Amino acid sequence: MISRSVVAVVGGGSWGSVLASLMGKNVQEVRVWVRDEESAREMNAERSAPKYLKDFRFPETIRIMSDIERVLDGAPSVVIWALPAKACRDRARDFAKFFKGSELVLHATKGIEEGSMKRVSQILVEELPLRRVGVISGPNLAQEIARGEPAATVIASQFQEVVNVGAEVLKSPFFRVYPGTDVAGVEWAGTLKNIYAIASGMLDALHFGQNSRSLLITRGLAEMVRFGVVMGADAGTFLGLAGVGDLMATCSSPLSRNYRVGFALAQGKKLEEALTELGMTAEGVRTTQIVAEFARERGISMPIADALYTILFEGVAIPEMLKALMEKPTVPDRF
Amino acid sequence: MSSGEFGDSNLRLEEVSMQSPLIVFNSIRARILGDVIQKTSSSFPLASIENELTAALYLERQRLKREKRSLFTKSRLQKDRQIWNQVQHQLLQAPSESNREELLKQVLGHYVEEIGGHFSQDVYQFATKAVPVGFNFLLNAASVNTLLPWKWTEDVQHRMNLTGEIEHLRKLSKKGTILLVPTHQSNIDSILIGYVIFLLGLPPFAYGAGLNLFSNPVLNFFMGNLGAYTVDRQKSSRLYKTLLKNYSTRILKEGVHSIFFPGGGRSRSGAIESKLKLGLLGTGLEAELENLLEGKKKSRVYVVPLVMSYHFVLEAGSLIEDYLAEAGKHRFIITDDESSQFSKVLNFFWQLFKAESGMTIRVGKPLDIFGNFVDENGESIGANGLKIDPVKWLSSAGGNLTSDEQRDRVYTEHLGDTLVERFHAENTALTSHWVAFSFFEGLRDAYPDHDLYRFIRLSTAQRVLTWEKFLEKCDQVRERLRVLEREGRIHLSPELRDRTLAEAIEDGLRHLGTFHGNAALKRTSQNWMTTEDMNLLYYYRNRLAGYGLSRLADPRQRLPGRQDEKGFLV
Repeated sequence: MISRSVVAVVGGGSWGSVLASLMGKNVQEVRVWVRDEESAREMNAERSAPKYLKDFRFPETIRIMSDIERVLDGAPSVVIWALPAKACRDRARDFAKFFKGSELVLHATKGIEEGSMKRVSQILVEELPLRRVGVISGPNLAQEIARGEPAATVIASQFQEVVNVGAEVLKSPFFRVYPGTDVAGVEWAGTLKNIYAIASGMLDALHFGQNSRSLLITRGLAEMVRFGVVMGADAGTFLGLAGVGDLMATCSSPLSRNYRVGFALAQGKKLEEALTELGMTAEGVRTTQIVAEFARERGISMPIADALYTILFEGVAIPEMLKALMEKPTVPDRF
Repeated sequence: MSSGEFGDSNLRLEEVSMQSPLIVFNSIRARILGDVIQKTSSSFPLASIENELTAALYLERQRLKREKRSLFTKSRLQKDRQIWNQVQHQLLQAPSESNREELLKQVLGHYVEEIGGHFSQDVYQFATKAVPVGFNFLLNAASVNTLLPWKWTEDVQHRMNLTGEIEHLRKLSKKGTILLVPTHQSNIDSILIGYVIFLLGLPPFAYGAGLNLFSNPVLNFFMGNLGAYTVDRQKSSRLYKTLLKNYSTRILKEGVHSIFFPGGGRSRSGAIESKLKLGLLGTGLEAELENLLEGKKKSRVYVVPLVMSYHFVLEAGSLIEDYLAEAGKHRFIITDDESSQFSKVLNFFWQLFKAESGMTIRVGKPLDIFGNFVDENGESIGANGLKIDPVKWLSSAGGNLTSDEQRDRVYTEHLGDTLVERFHAENTALTSHWVAFSFFEGLRDAYPDHDLYRFIRLSTAQRVLTWEKFLEKCDQVRERLRVLEREGRIHLSPELRDRTLAEAIEDGLRHLGTFHGNAALKRTSQNWMTTEDMNLLYYYRNRLAGYGLSRLADPRQRLPGRQDEKGFLV
């Protein structure tokens, strides 16, 4: 059944490309939408995504296109949405008329909308003529999965059907899919961990060891839970792959974009400089702004996120902020 | 007055079709009831029947212990006992000696006889003639300036302020099956809704009415013959609930327009419904899906909210007491409240018609079974104004139209959320609600630390506001209401929206004060305002709960049904 189906990926960045190639082994055809015709042609010809992934080859079932109408023609059974959070609303609005309504949409975007604080699944339901939406998130560094290293992810949706079909199209001998229903929890976890990934990059640039990182991860997790629960998430979700799992991977890996931004900042680079150097989106910067401002307003205790905010946007120096954090009175070591 | 909206629509009563599906339905009633039993019994696997029957037996025994005996319930309860004694007896026998499947069918047969609606054309014609005459009589008798019989020209429909998507509803009733879902404040609702449907020139609707209404001899006669079917919220067994859902699905599939109160019972707090009963609500989707699977041409079911606003509610006193006692929550049904006392009902209508705009009834924007809006042609309109094809939403990843219980439950949850939002948006705030809300919140400013229960027990001396403070609060609240109205989140009555502050307040106080023995709100002297009944005041104030107007409310959260840290509905 699935082997004869057509699926689509909207967004041909590193994660979108890896998801496409995972599905490419299970289905008849994977159509990948990328923004400009030039890259589409190049990616088709090279069968790779040289811009993002080294030594990576697309399976034969994959076709890269820049015309969304062709990508969505005949209603692919599954559409994976892998665009940066910032682009989601506008792209969804533009693409809406090409959806038929029977598609199951899984998004792989980690981030939220500025202003409205809406999660990507909420944006998609508001803009697309369908309601069966889910989220895919976990400790999934694209390059490691591209290399075929063992890994796992979470697919969460209110609709069992979305989880089941999503797991089926993505299954692979080295990639496990765990089902979930707490969409808000998975989305917030995936969004919030980027804040701590930036901080983690800073710690490494300052040559701190594992104790410091563990301190950051553990107390960061507590902040994530406190914030998530206010936003309607289940606390338990943060103990899973999409929560602490993703947090550890992102905070530990020099491959993570947010980590790299933090690393560059601690080396004394300016924020704009660090972002240009990266050449890709680092969701964590915007997330830090949105979340820290909201937490201040609502009195949600998030000292680490707040400290990072002052460094990123209020020009406070890192050592100064670190000192302030270390001198803060402690609270009981729980959520 | 918004009566113009209604008065312009040419009402041609003689054109009311008597060839309604409900009449057709009645002629094949026996077969349908048989089908419903069959469908329900086959939905329980053979191996589970014993457990289901045992569970039902236990729940029914509990229920029968709680039920109060009265003249009208006596014979029903007797029959109930009979069948459940029989079930107990047979369950004690070995399965080889008593056929469990047969027993299940007997139980379902017993239930469906109680549920199954009935329709009599004669009674309908009598009722639709008699009720308007009665209403008009009361209306004209209640009007001060038309005391003389030959001057009795005022029409009751104008007094009802029937407004909203009336034409739209009429059109859709020809394109598909209507599932009318009203808010529920009072037992009077049932009478008014029946009358509204008649006024709109729509064919009679099947009406899912609480079994308790059938205990009233007068209502029982009418309801029993006007297509009402019974919904007994006391019966909680899975057998009963499944059967009831199958019954509702089936009549919707037959094209019989239906009504039920999605909130279950009457609102205890006075607030608009925030939690809906999704089981029955989901029968709309099930009916449409089954229609599609059977390839029926007229497959659509349209969900139309109906929101009624009253200046005063007959049973307000009993309802709010029940809410505050926390005995409410639909755990028991009040059987002897104000609505069972004839003089009080009469007085209620008298007051209602005496008031120039005693109520507003708004037909809300029609929705589809997923909660999308529906246009005049009966097409669902989704995100970005795109047409939604229900077939696509009900198809699996393989592209086939399928039933998927879990998927459909999620769709129905969404419909429920949308309905709660629409109920609030279609609500009409009246001056009485507004003065009650303003006074209540003004008083709360003086006692910020009191929780709900301490607050409503304030002494008479403490429950006062200066006239100035009251005016100020009224003005503030009205401004915020006007903003909400501009955002499409509520409607304001013309009296509330357009009159001067003093006039609007006077209107509100007059209406709020007239009906109940104790004044919910009154001006004691030039400078002071007070309330004689905090419970009642809270009840009327709650009509504006759920909008984030309360002092501690955070307007960014989903509000309906939420309480703040002090226990007040926000």
